[in-house]
Amino acid sequence: MNLNRVYAIILRHIFLTMHQMERFFDVIISPVLVLILWGFLATYVQNIQSQTLAAFLLGGMILWVVFEKVSTDIGVNFMFDIWDKNVINVLASPITFVEYLAGLVTISFIKILIALTSMWLMAGIFYNFQITTLGFGLSLLWINLFIFAVSFGIFNISLILRYGHSIGPLTWILPFFVQPFAAVFYPVSILPPVFQKIAYLLPISHVFEGMRFTLRTGQFDYGSFWVAVLLNVIYLSGSVALFAFTLKKVIRSGRLVKLI
Amino acid sequence: MDTKVILEVKNLRKSFNSFTAIDDISFSLEEGEILGFLGPNGAGKSTTIYCILGLVAPDEGDIRIFGKNIFKGRSEIFKDVNYASAEFNLPWNLSIWENLLVYAKLYEVPEAKKRITELLEIFEMSHLKDQATRDLSTGLRARANLCKALLNKPRLLLLDEPMASMDPDVVDKGINLIKQIQKEEGITVLYTSHNMWEIEEIAGEVIFLNHGKIIAQGSPLELTQKVLKLEGSEPNLRDVFIHLARSQDEPK
Repeated sequence: MNLNRVYAIILRHIFLTMHQMERFFDVIISPVLVLILWGFLATYVQNIQSQTLAAFLLGGMILWVVFEKVSTDIGVNFMFDIWDKNVINVLASPITFVEYLAGLVTISFIKILIALTSMWLMAGIFYNFQITTLGFGLSLLWINLFIFAVSFGIFNISLILRYGHSIGPLTWILPFFVQPFAAVFYPVSILPPVFQKIAYLLPISHVFEGMRFTLRTGQFDYGSFWVAVLLNVIYLSGSVALFAFTLKKVIRSGRLVKLI
Repeated sequence: MDTKVILEVKNLRKSFNSFTAIDDISFSLEEGEILGFLGPNGAGKSTTIYCILGLVAPDEGDIRIFGKNIFKGRSEIFKDVNYASAEFNLPWNLSIWENLLVYAKLYEVPEAKKRITELLEIFEMSHLKDQATRDLSTGLRARANLCKALLNKPRLLLLDEPMASMDPDVVDKGINLIKQIQKEEGITVLYTSHNMWEIEEIAGEVIFLNHGKIIAQGSPLELTQKVLKLEGSEPNLRDVFIHLARSQDEPK
Protein backbone atom coordinates (compact mmCIF):
# COMPACT_ATOMS: atom_id res chain seq x y z
CA MET A 1 0.00 0.00 0.00
CA ASN A 2 1.52 3.27 -1.13
CA LEU A 3 0.14 6.19 0.88
CA ASN A 4 1.26 8.76 -1.69
CA ARG A 5 -1.06 7.26 -4.29
CA VAL A 6 -3.90 6.97 -1.78
CA TYR A 7 -3.31 10.66 -1.02
CA ALA A 8 -3.49 11.43 -4.76
CA ILE A 9 -7.00 9.99 -4.96
CA ILE A 10 -8.05 11.94 -1.84
CA LEU A 11 -6.53 15.13 -3.28
CA ARG A 12 -8.44 14.64 -6.52
CA HIS A 13 -11.75 14.38 -4.66
CA ILE A 14 -10.96 17.36 -2.44
CA PHE A 15 -10.36 19.40 -5.61
CA LEU A 16 -13.56 18.01 -7.13
CA THR A 17 -15.59 18.91 -4.04
CA MET A 18 -14.22 22.44 -4.12
CA HIS A 19 -15.17 22.82 -7.79
CA GLN A 20 -18.58 21.19 -7.72
CA MET A 21 -21.22 22.72 -5.51
CA GLU A 22 -23.40 19.62 -5.73
CA ARG A 23 -20.70 17.69 -3.91
CA PHE A 24 -20.62 20.34 -1.18
CA PHE A 25 -24.40 19.96 -1.03
CA ASP A 26 -23.94 16.26 -0.48
CA VAL A 27 -21.49 16.74 2.37
CA ILE A 28 -23.22 19.43 4.43
CA ILE A 29 -26.48 20.79 3.05
CA SER A 30 -28.25 17.51 2.33
CA PRO A 31 -27.63 15.96 5.80
CA VAL A 32 -28.69 19.22 7.46
CA LEU A 33 -31.91 19.37 5.43
CA VAL A 34 -32.69 15.78 6.37
CA LEU A 35 -32.01 16.62 9.98
CA ILE A 36 -34.35 19.60 9.87
CA LEU A 37 -37.15 17.47 8.45
CA TRP A 38 -36.73 14.66 10.94
CA GLY A 39 -36.03 17.05 13.78
CA PHE A 40 -39.41 18.67 13.46
CA LEU A 41 -41.09 15.34 12.99
CA ALA A 42 -39.40 14.00 16.09
CA THR A 43 -40.32 17.09 18.10
CA TYR A 44 -43.93 16.68 17.07
CA VAL A 45 -43.98 12.97 17.87
CA GLN A 46 -42.30 13.63 21.22
CA ASN A 47 -45.23 15.76 22.28
CA ILE A 48 -47.63 12.95 21.72
CA GLN A 49 -45.42 9.97 22.59
CA SER A 50 -42.68 9.00 25.03
CA GLN A 51 -39.67 11.12 26.02
CA THR A 52 -37.12 8.83 24.39
CA LEU A 53 -38.89 8.55 21.05
CA ALA A 54 -37.48 11.82 19.73
CA ALA A 55 -33.98 10.70 20.70
CA PHE A 56 -34.55 7.37 18.95
CA LEU A 57 -35.64 9.10 15.77
CA LEU A 58 -32.94 11.75 15.73
CA GLY A 59 -30.19 9.35 16.77
CA GLY A 60 -31.40 6.85 14.17
CA MET A 61 -31.47 9.46 11.46
CA ILE A 62 -27.99 10.83 12.27
CA LEU A 63 -26.48 7.34 12.25
CA TRP A 64 -28.43 6.32 9.13
CA VAL A 65 -26.82 9.22 7.29
CA VAL A 66 -23.41 7.66 8.03
CA PHE A 67 -24.44 4.49 6.24
CA GLU A 68 -26.31 6.12 3.39
CA LYS A 69 -23.70 8.77 2.57
CA VAL A 70 -20.64 6.56 2.84
CA SER A 71 -22.10 3.67 0.86
CA THR A 72 -23.29 5.92 -1.97
CA ASP A 73 -20.23 8.16 -1.89
CA ILE A 74 -17.80 5.33 -2.64
CA GLY A 75 -19.81 4.25 -5.69
CA VAL A 76 -20.49 7.82 -6.85
CA ASN A 77 -16.81 8.80 -6.62
CA PHE A 78 -15.94 5.82 -8.81
CA MET A 79 -18.70 6.87 -11.22
CA PHE A 80 -17.19 10.39 -11.38
CA ASP A 81 -13.93 8.91 -12.64
CA ILE A 82 -15.87 7.00 -15.29
CA TRP A 83 -17.99 10.00 -16.32
CA ASP A 84 -14.83 12.13 -16.53
CA LYS A 85 -13.31 9.47 -18.83
CA ASN A 86 -10.45 9.50 -16.37
CA VAL A 87 -10.62 6.00 -14.97
CA ILE A 88 -8.26 4.46 -17.56
CA ASN A 89 -5.69 7.19 -16.97
CA VAL A 90 -5.82 6.44 -13.24
CA LEU A 91 -5.66 2.67 -13.66
CA ALA A 92 -2.80 2.97 -16.15
CA SER A 93 -0.74 4.59 -13.38
CA PRO A 94 1.18 2.58 -10.76
CA ILE A 95 -1.84 2.62 -8.45
CA THR A 96 -3.27 -0.70 -7.33
CA PHE A 97 -7.00 -1.19 -7.02
CA VAL A 98 -6.56 -1.60 -3.25
CA GLU A 99 -4.89 1.82 -3.08
CA TYR A 100 -7.61 3.32 -5.27
CA LEU A 101 -10.31 1.90 -2.99
CA ALA A 102 -8.40 3.09 0.09
CA GLY A 103 -8.44 6.61 -1.40
CA LEU A 104 -12.20 6.47 -2.02
CA VAL A 105 -12.90 5.10 1.47
CA THR A 106 -10.71 7.76 3.11
CA ILE A 107 -12.35 10.65 1.27
CA SER A 108 -15.76 9.26 2.30
CA PHE A 109 -14.51 9.06 5.89
CA ILE A 110 -13.42 12.71 5.82
CA LYS A 111 -16.72 13.82 4.28
CA ILE A 112 -18.86 11.91 6.75
CA LEU A 113 -16.89 13.38 9.66
CA ILE A 114 -17.70 16.86 8.33
CA ALA A 115 -21.36 15.89 7.79
CA LEU A 116 -21.63 14.36 11.27
CA THR A 117 -20.09 17.40 12.93
CA SER A 118 -22.54 19.73 11.22
CA MET A 119 -25.47 17.48 12.12
CA TRP A 120 -24.30 17.14 15.72
CA LEU A 121 -24.14 20.93 16.03
CA MET A 122 -27.53 21.46 14.37
CA ALA A 123 -29.23 18.79 16.48
CA GLY A 124 -27.82 20.36 19.63
CA ILE A 125 -28.80 23.91 18.71
CA PHE A 126 -32.29 23.31 17.29
CA TYR A 127 -33.55 20.19 19.04
CA ASN A 128 -31.46 20.06 22.19
CA PHE A 129 -30.41 16.55 21.21
CA GLN A 130 -26.85 15.53 21.99
CA ILE A 131 -25.80 12.46 20.04
CA THR A 132 -22.81 12.42 22.38
CA THR A 133 -25.13 11.14 25.14
CA LEU A 134 -24.35 7.77 23.55
CA GLY A 135 -20.90 8.29 25.07
CA PHE A 136 -17.91 6.23 24.03
CA GLY A 137 -20.33 3.69 22.55
CA LEU A 138 -21.18 6.20 19.81
CA SER A 139 -17.77 5.73 18.22
CA LEU A 140 -18.15 1.94 18.36
CA LEU A 141 -21.59 2.13 16.72
CA TRP A 142 -20.18 4.55 14.20
CA ILE A 143 -17.26 2.26 13.31
CA ASN A 144 -19.62 -0.67 12.73
CA LEU A 145 -21.86 1.45 10.51
CA PHE A 146 -18.90 2.80 8.59
CA ILE A 147 -17.51 -0.68 7.93
CA PHE A 148 -20.89 -1.94 6.72
CA ALA A 149 -21.21 1.12 4.49
CA VAL A 150 -17.73 0.44 3.07
CA SER A 151 -18.72 -3.17 2.33
CA PHE A 152 -21.79 -1.85 0.59
CA GLY A 153 -19.75 0.71 -1.38
CA ILE A 154 -17.32 -1.99 -2.54
CA PHE A 155 -20.30 -4.16 -3.55
CA ASN A 156 -21.57 -1.15 -5.51
CA ILE A 157 -18.25 -0.74 -7.34
CA SER A 158 -18.27 -4.45 -8.21
CA LEU A 159 -21.69 -3.99 -9.80
CA ILE A 160 -20.46 -0.97 -11.79
CA LEU A 161 -17.37 -2.91 -12.93
CA ARG A 162 -19.53 -5.82 -14.03
CA TYR A 163 -22.48 -3.97 -15.59
CA GLY A 164 -20.92 -0.62 -16.56
CA HIS A 165 -22.02 2.93 -15.81
CA SER A 166 -25.61 2.25 -16.87
CA ILE A 167 -26.06 0.76 -13.43
CA GLY A 168 -24.86 4.04 -11.87
CA PRO A 169 -28.26 5.36 -10.71
CA LEU A 170 -28.63 2.24 -8.57
CA THR A 171 -25.73 3.59 -6.51
CA TRP A 172 -28.08 6.15 -4.95
CA ILE A 173 -30.98 3.76 -4.48
CA LEU A 174 -29.30 0.65 -3.10
CA PRO A 175 -29.04 1.82 0.55
CA PHE A 176 -32.78 2.32 0.63
CA PHE A 177 -33.30 -1.37 -0.10
CA VAL A 178 -31.64 -2.00 3.24
CA GLN A 179 -33.52 0.68 5.18
CA PRO A 180 -36.73 -1.26 5.98
CA PHE A 181 -34.67 -4.07 7.50
CA ALA A 182 -32.14 -1.81 9.19
CA ALA A 183 -34.60 -0.91 11.98
CA VAL A 184 -33.39 2.66 11.90
CA PHE A 185 -36.50 4.31 13.31
CA TYR A 186 -38.23 1.38 14.97
CA PRO A 187 -37.18 -1.77 16.83
CA VAL A 188 -36.70 -5.03 14.94
CA SER A 189 -39.46 -6.55 17.08
CA ILE A 190 -42.18 -4.66 15.23
CA LEU A 191 -41.20 -6.24 11.90
CA PRO A 192 -42.99 -9.34 10.59
CA PRO A 193 -41.10 -12.55 11.53
CA VAL A 194 -39.59 -13.08 8.06
CA PHE A 195 -38.35 -9.50 7.94
CA GLN A 196 -36.93 -9.91 11.46
CA LYS A 197 -34.82 -12.81 10.23
CA ILE A 198 -33.48 -10.70 7.36
CA ALA A 199 -32.88 -7.77 9.75
CA TYR A 200 -30.82 -9.91 12.13
CA LEU A 201 -28.57 -10.93 9.23
CA LEU A 202 -27.58 -7.29 8.71
CA PRO A 203 -25.01 -5.63 11.01
CA ILE A 204 -26.83 -2.33 10.66
CA SER A 205 -29.94 -3.55 12.53
CA HIS A 206 -27.76 -4.56 15.49
CA VAL A 207 -26.16 -1.11 15.47
CA PHE A 208 -29.57 0.59 15.73
CA GLU A 209 -30.82 -1.86 18.33
CA GLY A 210 -27.67 -1.07 20.30
CA MET A 211 -28.24 2.67 19.91
CA ARG A 212 -31.78 2.43 21.25
CA PHE A 213 -30.62 0.28 24.16
CA THR A 214 -28.01 2.86 25.12
CA LEU A 215 -30.44 5.78 24.83
CA ARG A 216 -33.00 3.89 26.93
CA THR A 217 -30.72 2.51 29.65
CA GLY A 218 -27.54 4.53 29.47
CA GLN A 219 -25.62 1.24 29.15
CA PHE A 220 -23.65 0.09 26.13
CA ASP A 221 -25.10 -2.99 24.44
CA TYR A 222 -22.04 -5.19 24.00
CA GLY A 223 -24.14 -8.10 22.73
CA SER A 224 -25.42 -6.15 19.71
CA PHE A 225 -22.00 -4.63 19.17
CA TRP A 226 -20.17 -7.97 18.87
CA VAL A 227 -22.84 -9.50 16.65
CA ALA A 228 -22.50 -6.47 14.35
CA VAL A 229 -18.70 -6.83 14.36
CA LEU A 230 -18.96 -10.51 13.42
CA LEU A 231 -21.46 -9.81 10.64
CA ASN A 232 -19.29 -6.94 9.40
CA VAL A 233 -16.29 -9.26 9.11
CA ILE A 234 -18.42 -11.57 6.96
CA TYR A 235 -19.87 -8.76 4.81
CA LEU A 236 -16.53 -6.99 4.32
CA SER A 237 -14.76 -10.23 3.41
CA GLY A 238 -17.61 -11.10 1.05
CA SER A 239 -17.60 -7.74 -0.69
CA VAL A 240 -13.80 -7.72 -1.07
CA ALA A 241 -13.90 -11.29 -2.46
CA LEU A 242 -16.67 -10.32 -4.89
CA PHE A 243 -14.72 -7.25 -5.93
CA ALA A 244 -11.50 -9.25 -6.51
CA PHE A 245 -13.45 -11.87 -8.50
CA THR A 246 -15.22 -9.21 -10.60
CA LEU A 247 -12.02 -7.30 -11.24
CA LYS A 248 -10.25 -10.42 -12.45
CA LYS A 249 -13.19 -11.21 -14.67
CA VAL A 250 -13.44 -7.74 -16.24
CA ILE A 251 -9.70 -7.64 -16.90
CA ARG A 252 -10.01 -10.98 -18.67
CA SER A 253 -13.15 -10.05 -20.63
CA GLY A 254 -11.86 -6.58 -21.56
CA ARG A 255 -14.83 -4.93 -19.89
CA LEU A 256 -12.61 -2.80 -17.66
CA VAL A 257 -11.43 -0.66 -20.56
CA LYS A 258 -15.00 -0.37 -21.87
CA LEU A 259 -16.22 1.29 -18.68
CA ILE A 260 -16.23 4.77 -20.19
CA MET B 1 27.04 -1.11 -28.70
CA ASP B 2 24.71 -2.87 -26.27
CA THR B 3 21.09 -1.94 -26.60
CA LYS B 4 18.60 -2.35 -23.83
CA VAL B 5 15.21 -3.92 -24.53
CA ILE B 6 12.56 -1.79 -22.84
CA LEU B 7 9.45 -3.60 -24.02
CA GLU B 8 9.18 -7.16 -25.19
CA VAL B 9 5.92 -8.70 -26.42
CA LYS B 10 5.98 -12.40 -27.29
CA ASN B 11 3.27 -14.44 -28.99
CA LEU B 12 0.46 -12.26 -27.69
CA ARG B 13 -3.07 -13.50 -28.30
CA LYS B 14 -6.38 -12.07 -27.19
CA SER B 15 -9.91 -12.96 -28.21
CA PHE B 16 -13.21 -11.52 -27.09
CA ASN B 17 -15.66 -14.37 -27.50
CA SER B 18 -15.37 -15.33 -31.17
CA PHE B 19 -13.58 -12.12 -32.19
CA THR B 20 -9.79 -12.37 -32.39
CA ALA B 21 -8.40 -8.98 -31.42
CA ILE B 22 -4.71 -9.96 -31.31
CA ASP B 23 -3.44 -12.99 -33.17
CA ASP B 24 0.01 -14.10 -32.10
CA ILE B 25 2.03 -10.90 -32.34
CA SER B 26 5.60 -10.42 -31.18
CA PHE B 27 7.74 -7.32 -31.18
CA SER B 28 10.22 -5.48 -29.02
CA LEU B 29 11.34 -1.92 -28.41
CA GLU B 30 14.84 -0.86 -27.63
CA GLU B 31 15.82 2.05 -25.43
CA GLY B 32 15.24 5.42 -27.07
CA GLU B 33 13.34 3.92 -30.01
CA ILE B 34 10.02 5.23 -31.33
CA LEU B 35 7.91 2.44 -32.74
CA GLY B 36 4.82 3.32 -34.75
CA PHE B 37 1.89 1.00 -34.48
CA LEU B 38 -0.19 1.56 -37.57
CA GLY B 39 -3.44 -0.02 -38.62
CA PRO B 40 -7.09 0.58 -39.41
CA ASN B 41 -9.79 0.81 -36.75
CA GLY B 42 -10.25 -2.49 -34.99
CA ALA B 43 -6.80 -3.76 -36.01
CA GLY B 44 -5.87 -4.51 -32.39
CA LYS B 45 -3.66 -1.49 -31.65
CA SER B 46 -5.48 -0.32 -28.53
CA THR B 47 -6.02 -3.86 -27.26
CA THR B 48 -2.27 -4.41 -27.48
CA ILE B 49 -1.66 -1.23 -25.49
CA TYR B 50 -4.26 -2.26 -22.86
CA CYS B 51 -2.52 -5.63 -22.55
CA ILE B 52 0.81 -3.86 -22.05
CA LEU B 53 -0.81 -1.66 -19.40
CA GLY B 54 -2.18 -4.77 -17.65
CA LEU B 55 -5.77 -3.58 -18.03
CA VAL B 56 -6.70 -6.46 -20.32
CA ALA B 57 -5.39 -9.95 -19.60
CA PRO B 58 -3.98 -11.70 -22.67
CA ASP B 59 -5.13 -15.24 -23.43
CA GLU B 60 -1.58 -16.24 -24.27
CA GLY B 61 1.82 -14.67 -24.54
CA ASP B 62 4.32 -12.80 -22.46
CA ILE B 63 4.80 -9.07 -21.91
CA ARG B 64 7.95 -7.76 -20.29
CA ILE B 65 8.77 -4.17 -19.49
CA PHE B 66 12.38 -3.49 -18.44
CA GLY B 67 12.75 -7.28 -18.50
CA LYS B 68 10.07 -7.77 -15.84
CA ASN B 69 6.72 -9.52 -16.12
CA ILE B 70 4.06 -6.78 -15.91
CA PHE B 71 1.72 -8.88 -13.79
CA LYS B 72 4.39 -9.20 -11.09
CA GLY B 73 5.32 -5.96 -9.33
CA ARG B 74 3.21 -3.82 -11.66
CA SER B 75 3.34 -0.72 -9.40
CA GLU B 76 7.13 -0.66 -9.37
CA ILE B 77 7.35 -1.07 -13.17
CA PHE B 78 4.69 1.53 -13.95
CA LYS B 79 6.43 4.28 -12.00
CA ASP B 80 8.57 4.53 -15.14
CA VAL B 81 5.82 4.06 -17.70
CA ASN B 82 3.13 6.48 -18.78
CA TYR B 83 0.20 6.55 -21.14
CA ALA B 84 -1.96 9.00 -23.05
CA SER B 85 -4.86 8.69 -25.43
CA ALA B 86 -7.13 11.31 -26.94
CA GLU B 87 -10.00 9.05 -25.95
CA PHE B 88 -9.46 9.73 -22.25
CA ASN B 89 -9.56 13.06 -20.48
CA LEU B 90 -8.13 14.59 -17.45
CA PRO B 91 -11.08 15.39 -15.13
CA TRP B 92 -12.89 18.34 -16.61
CA ASN B 93 -13.72 20.22 -13.45
CA LEU B 94 -10.17 20.38 -12.18
CA SER B 95 -7.70 22.97 -13.37
CA ILE B 96 -4.71 21.81 -15.39
CA TRP B 97 -2.45 22.44 -12.41
CA GLU B 98 -4.67 20.43 -10.04
CA ASN B 99 -4.91 17.55 -12.50
CA LEU B 100 -1.18 17.44 -13.00
CA LEU B 101 -0.57 17.62 -9.25
CA VAL B 102 -2.88 14.63 -8.66
CA TYR B 103 -1.07 12.61 -11.32
CA ALA B 104 2.33 13.72 -10.03
CA LYS B 105 1.33 12.17 -6.68
CA LEU B 106 0.09 9.00 -8.39
CA TYR B 107 3.44 8.61 -10.14
CA GLU B 108 5.41 9.80 -7.07
CA VAL B 109 7.15 12.49 -9.09
CA PRO B 110 9.96 14.09 -7.06
CA GLU B 111 9.80 17.90 -6.99
CA ALA B 112 6.37 17.67 -8.60
CA LYS B 113 5.68 21.40 -8.78
CA LYS B 114 9.00 22.06 -10.51
CA ARG B 115 8.34 19.32 -13.08
CA ILE B 116 4.78 20.57 -13.73
CA THR B 117 6.05 24.13 -14.22
CA GLU B 118 8.73 22.86 -16.59
CA LEU B 119 6.26 20.86 -18.70
CA LEU B 120 3.71 23.67 -18.83
CA GLU B 121 6.45 25.93 -20.15
CA ILE B 122 7.55 23.41 -22.81
CA PHE B 123 3.94 22.94 -23.92
CA GLU B 124 3.31 26.72 -23.77
CA MET B 125 0.49 26.31 -21.30
CA SER B 126 1.83 28.16 -18.22
CA HIS B 127 -0.74 30.93 -18.61
CA LEU B 128 -3.55 28.33 -18.65
CA LYS B 129 -2.57 26.43 -15.52
CA ASP B 130 -5.54 27.62 -13.46
CA GLN B 131 -8.04 27.07 -16.23
CA ALA B 132 -10.53 24.21 -15.92
CA THR B 133 -9.73 21.39 -18.32
CA ARG B 134 -13.27 21.56 -19.76
CA ASP B 135 -12.59 25.11 -21.01
CA LEU B 136 -9.63 24.05 -23.16
CA SER B 137 -9.79 23.49 -26.89
CA THR B 138 -9.31 19.94 -28.17
CA GLY B 139 -5.71 20.72 -29.12
CA LEU B 140 -4.89 22.15 -25.70
CA ARG B 141 -6.51 19.16 -24.00
CA ALA B 142 -4.24 16.90 -26.05
CA ARG B 143 -1.28 18.93 -24.86
CA ALA B 144 -2.46 18.69 -21.24
CA ASN B 145 -2.74 14.90 -21.71
CA LEU B 146 0.83 14.85 -22.98
CA CYS B 147 2.00 16.89 -19.98
CA LYS B 148 0.41 14.23 -17.78
CA ALA B 149 2.08 11.48 -19.78
CA LEU B 150 5.52 13.06 -19.37
CA LEU B 151 5.24 13.99 -15.68
CA ASN B 152 7.28 11.06 -14.38
CA LYS B 153 9.97 11.29 -17.09
CA PRO B 154 8.83 7.84 -18.26
CA ARG B 155 11.32 5.38 -19.69
CA LEU B 156 8.47 3.90 -21.71
CA LEU B 157 5.68 6.07 -23.10
CA LEU B 158 2.57 4.46 -24.59
CA LEU B 159 0.66 6.86 -26.82
CA ASP B 160 -2.60 5.47 -28.17
CA GLU B 161 -3.80 7.76 -30.94
CA PRO B 162 -2.97 10.82 -28.84
CA MET B 163 -3.80 13.16 -31.73
CA ALA B 164 -6.96 11.45 -32.94
CA SER B 165 -9.50 13.79 -34.58
CA MET B 166 -7.22 16.81 -34.36
CA ASP B 167 -6.42 19.20 -37.16
CA PRO B 168 -3.05 18.85 -38.95
CA ASP B 169 -1.65 21.96 -37.29
CA VAL B 170 -2.34 20.61 -33.80
CA VAL B 171 -0.95 17.20 -34.78
CA ASP B 172 2.19 18.76 -36.21
CA LYS B 173 2.82 20.85 -33.07
CA GLY B 174 2.08 17.87 -30.81
CA ILE B 175 4.40 15.56 -32.69
CA ASN B 176 7.22 18.08 -32.69
CA LEU B 177 6.87 18.53 -28.94
CA ILE B 178 6.88 14.77 -28.37
CA LYS B 179 9.96 14.39 -30.58
CA GLN B 180 11.73 17.22 -28.76
CA ILE B 181 11.12 15.76 -25.30
CA GLN B 182 11.78 12.21 -26.48
CA LYS B 183 15.19 13.33 -27.74
CA GLU B 184 16.01 15.32 -24.61
CA GLU B 185 14.92 12.67 -22.13
CA GLY B 186 15.70 9.53 -24.16
CA ILE B 187 12.19 8.14 -23.82
CA THR B 188 11.16 4.94 -25.57
CA VAL B 189 7.81 5.43 -27.31
CA LEU B 190 5.12 3.14 -28.68
CA TYR B 191 2.85 5.34 -30.78
CA THR B 192 -0.37 4.06 -32.33
CA SER B 193 -2.29 5.77 -35.07
CA HIS B 194 -4.28 5.06 -38.18
CA ASN B 195 -2.70 8.10 -39.77
CA MET B 196 0.29 7.13 -41.94
CA TRP B 197 1.55 10.68 -42.15
CA GLU B 198 1.56 11.04 -38.36
CA ILE B 199 3.46 7.78 -37.96
CA GLU B 200 5.97 8.70 -40.63
CA GLU B 201 6.63 11.99 -38.87
CA ILE B 202 7.40 10.43 -35.53
CA ALA B 203 8.48 6.80 -35.88
CA GLY B 204 11.69 5.30 -37.17
CA GLU B 205 10.17 1.84 -37.30
CA VAL B 206 6.59 0.92 -38.13
CA ILE B 207 4.51 -2.16 -37.48
CA PHE B 208 1.40 -2.46 -39.60
CA LEU B 209 -1.32 -4.35 -37.81
CA ASN B 210 -4.54 -5.65 -39.35
CA HIS B 211 -7.10 -8.13 -38.00
CA GLY B 212 -4.83 -8.57 -34.97
CA LYS B 213 -1.83 -9.68 -37.04
CA ILE B 214 1.42 -7.98 -37.94
CA ILE B 215 1.30 -7.83 -41.71
CA ALA B 216 4.24 -5.55 -42.39
CA GLN B 217 7.17 -4.16 -40.47
CA GLY B 218 9.95 -1.77 -41.39
CA SER B 219 10.77 1.90 -41.74
CA PRO B 220 8.07 4.11 -43.34
CA LEU B 221 10.27 4.21 -46.47
CA GLU B 222 10.57 0.42 -46.58
CA LEU B 223 6.80 0.03 -46.31
CA THR B 224 6.31 2.50 -49.16
CA GLN B 225 8.86 0.68 -51.33
CA LYS B 226 7.21 -2.66 -50.62
CA VAL B 227 3.90 -1.36 -51.92
CA LEU B 228 5.65 0.32 -54.86
CA LYS B 229 6.97 -3.08 -55.95
CA LEU B 230 3.55 -4.66 -55.64
CA GLU B 231 1.56 -1.90 -57.30
CA GLY B 232 4.07 -0.87 -59.92
CA SER B 233 3.32 2.82 -59.51
CA GLU B 234 4.66 5.24 -56.95
CA PRO B 235 2.13 5.25 -54.13
CA ASN B 236 1.49 8.13 -51.79
CA LEU B 237 1.24 7.41 -48.07
CA ARG B 238 -2.51 7.12 -48.21
CA ASP B 239 -2.20 4.44 -50.91
CA VAL B 240 0.31 2.49 -48.79
CA PHE B 241 -2.10 2.46 -45.87
CA ILE B 242 -5.07 1.39 -47.99
CA HIS B 243 -3.03 -1.27 -49.77
CA LEU B 244 -1.83 -2.81 -46.50
CA ALA B 245 -5.21 -2.53 -44.81
CA ARG B 246 -7.01 -4.24 -47.69
CA SER B 247 -4.35 -6.79 -48.52
CA GLN B 248 -5.78 -9.29 -46.03
CA ASP B 249 -9.39 -8.70 -47.02
CA GLU B 250 -8.91 -9.61 -50.68
CA PRO B 251 -9.58 -13.20 -51.69
CA LYS B 252 -6.37 -15.05 -52.24
